[in-house]
Amino acid sequence: MFSFHATLAEPQHFSLLEKLLFAALVIASAGLFFQRFDPILRKILKSKNDPGFHLAPLGRRIWEFFSEVLLQSKVIAQRPLPGVAHAFVFWGFLAFALVTLNHAAVGLGVGFLDPTGQGFSGWFGRFYFYFAAAFALTCAVSIVGLFIRRFFVRPRWLGEKLSYESGFIAFLIFALMVTYLGAFFTTDASPTARALWWLHTLSLLIFLPLIPHTKHLHLVLSPVTVFLSRGEFSDIPPLANDDDFGLVAGQDLTKIVSLQAYSCVECGRCTEHCPANNTGKVLNPKEIILGLRSYLNDIGPATEEPLLGKYNSQEAVFQCTTCGACEFQCPVGIEHLPIIIGLRRGAVNTGAWEDDYGGKLFNQLERGSNALGISALERDKFIQKEAFPVFDGTQEYCLWLGCMGGYDPKGREIISAFARVMNHLGTSYGVLKKEKCTGDPVRRLGNDLVFQQLAEANLEILAQNNVKKIVAICPHCVRTIQEDWKAYGTPPEIEHHSEFMARFAHLLPQKPSDEKIVYHDPCYLGRYRNVYDEPRQLVQITGTLVEAPRNKERSFCCGAGGGLAFLGEESGERVSHVRAQELVATGATTVGTACPFCNTMFRDALAATDTPPQLLDIAQLIARNLPAHNSQ
Amino acid sequence: MKIVVAIKQVPDRDAPVRIDASGKWIEESGLQFAMNEPDAYALEEALRLKEAQGGEVIVLSAGPERVGTTIREALAKGADRAIHITADDLGTRDALGVAKLIAEAIKPESPDLILTGLQSEDLGLGQTGVILAELLNLPHASLILHVEATGTGLKVKRELEAGWFQEIELPTPAVLTIQSGGNKLRYATLMGIKKAKTKEFRAVSAADLGQSSAPTVTLGQIALPSKQRSTQILSGSAKEAAAALVEKLKFEARII
Repeated sequence: MFSFHATLAEPQHFSLLEKLLFAALVIASAGLFFQRFDPILRKILKSKNDPGFHLAPLGRRIWEFFSEVLLQSKVIAQRPLPGVAHAFVFWGFLAFALVTLNHAAVGLGVGFLDPTGQGFSGWFGRFYFYFAAAFALTCAVSIVGLFIRRFFVRPRWLGEKLSYESGFIAFLIFALMVTYLGAFFTTDASPTARALWWLHTLSLLIFLPLIPHTKHLHLVLSPVTVFLSRGEFSDIPPLANDDDFGLVAGQDLTKIVSLQAYSCVECGRCTEHCPANNTGKVLNPKEIILGLRSYLNDIGPATEEPLLGKYNSQEAVFQCTTCGACEFQCPVGIEHLPIIIGLRRGAVNTGAWEDDYGGKLFNQLERGSNALGISALERDKFIQKEAFPVFDGTQEYCLWLGCMGGYDPKGREIISAFARVMNHLGTSYGVLKKEKCTGDPVRRLGNDLVFQQLAEANLEILAQNNVKKIVAICPHCVRTIQEDWKAYGTPPEIEHHSEFMARFAHLLPQKPSDEKIVYHDPCYLGRYRNVYDEPRQLVQITGTLVEAPRNKERSFCCGAGGGLAFLGEESGERVSHVRAQELVATGATTVGTACPFCNTMFRDALAATDTPPQLLDIAQLIARNLPAHNSQ
Repeated sequence: MKIVVAIKQVPDRDAPVRIDASGKWIEESGLQFAMNEPDAYALEEALRLKEAQGGEVIVLSAGPERVGTTIREALAKGADRAIHITADDLGTRDALGVAKLIAEAIKPESPDLILTGLQSEDLGLGQTGVILAELLNLPHASLILHVEATGTGLKVKRELEAGWFQEIELPTPAVLTIQSGGNKLRYATLMGIKKAKTKEFRAVSAADLGQSSAPTVTLGQIALPSKQRSTQILSGSAKEAAAALVEKLKFEARII
């Protein structure tokens, strides 16, 4: 009969036959593991080196490893209940490392954790077995919970097909925990103890070779993947040499891309938050990564077989708004944006992508100055009409108009409102006589040729004008100037007008009211730049802030990013309409935006709702409360 | 099929054009230049014909040093090699003078087809291509939107007035002047630019072509077009104003 004993039963005196059998099983299991793991490792190592990769700053990598791997911060924060369950299983594994070593040592007659011993070793043994037991218990409960989730709750993000392998592995983990805990209820000499020891051993040795070819490979790879991430959010690598056009074929896959492809745990968080996938488009970020994995499995790196075609579709790759929800969510450190943009680069830099709208946009930006295809003279007229001061090197700020601010009617209203705010604050600023598109849409669409032309031309204009500080109303401009231009020079300091205005919030009209304003986080301000509080602070001095269900880091895209604003009609539902309906459902009477692209998308989408709220940029929310004499 | 495309570099449409100190030419410093749009369509048509038929596309342009960037753009888009007729004096050569330069450069190539834009965006004479056909003694057709090789010759689609089109057949070799908008223009790619660096790029001078540099035309003075505002406010009720607007759009503006 089972009864609780104060300590863990460890069978003693294994016969030579048992020891030999144990050794043979360990060798077989480990051998099978390496036989399956070795080709994967080879494929990763055979991939080309990552251009522009730096291990420094090491501190950030160590922190990310500590936070995301050891503390499971992302796993928990983004899916709390299954996240905590996963964390308990993971921590259980960590706690079991020493137990498992001892377990194997016992089989060879050299166990080192000795709960019955005297002094420290006895104390430590007892402590550790209880410590591990606590983890075993939470791990067992958690794995049962996760099993129920996968096989009965069945969230669609996990995929339509049930993974019986995952079920079997969950059973093995459960068996490992139960056979450990069971040993507290028997004695060293009992046959039960021996049976439990063998069952525990077998569970472990069956589990090991199942790791490399299932999603459980993330156990081995993801800690490395998180540590070796490219670094910054949407960090697009430089092209390595004259023959590098992005991700065209297997030979373009880098070690980090291959490592990430094999690290995917197939949790589907990326898909769950993907605006394209949620509106009925082909794109599924998880399948992009798994497509690369299948490519590597079937064809391998260092080949000339195209990456787009059988394993990933061009259509899917060009449906991405580059909102970055996938990359932000990924708990195993996969960086989707450099991969998706890399595949686009491969298609665009070689001319394989044929799209009427895309071709028109590229030709426009090759020749003209802005993404809207409007004559630059129109920008001059706007500047004259508004009597904006021209930047001459004496002013503190260069007000960057951008394509939307310089050419789009609504974007111009935002610029004018922000100029009024700056006038009110007495800021010295000027606008450039000439500026070109920052190259954001072509950067995200993968056209390195036009992007380089635009970045270099703009950097030259800024240098000629001796610009030191820029302020812009468009988060896409801010991001592209600050981060993407670095590939071609040193851009001046730049900030978004929300950051600028928030710094001077105390000098702006304080008119909080009952007006419900729902603030929509633009992807390029939020996830790309970590600016969440400043615009909210501004909203709060002009009305009452209301939050949309998906906000801040989990904000849902407006559909414009990634150059998609210029690519014509989308398939499926419109992303902007889905988001607009969500914003309207908050009951807010005003929608506050901080990006002229979001603004233009919502302008149309809100008009299609029953009771469209008014739509204002944060600059307009502030400017409407300025005294009238400041209106020049 | 061996195709020669004659292209011209013109000031960018967006560029604010100023008159230089002499009063006889535009100020070129600070001006952006681009490929003449109808020529870009001529190049596109040539590249499509090559893709369908095989063969070679030779791009040809006359002008000063700066023309090289436009030639390279054409090579990047897929032309196989280039001839640059170096000439700093295009302003003193009329359409016949320029056509003579181009004709002499083309002769040794004996192409099956010569394409060029129907007119240039800067001077807009619309004659160079047609004169070129005369000089080469070849059949020609103008305002072409689409070219199809029939095996024995060409079938082309011409644009007529008021939305009418004409399809005609003509033998090769021939000269066609191409209208904008017949195709979607391809974009230049990074790969194309890199490949362009290794393509043949030959420069010839007017003297090499046996042409004198004597001016065929003298420019007296050039002037910017004067601005005219002709805003009309239509009075009356909305219905009357709308009727008056339709009337004016039909018979004065002739756009509907």
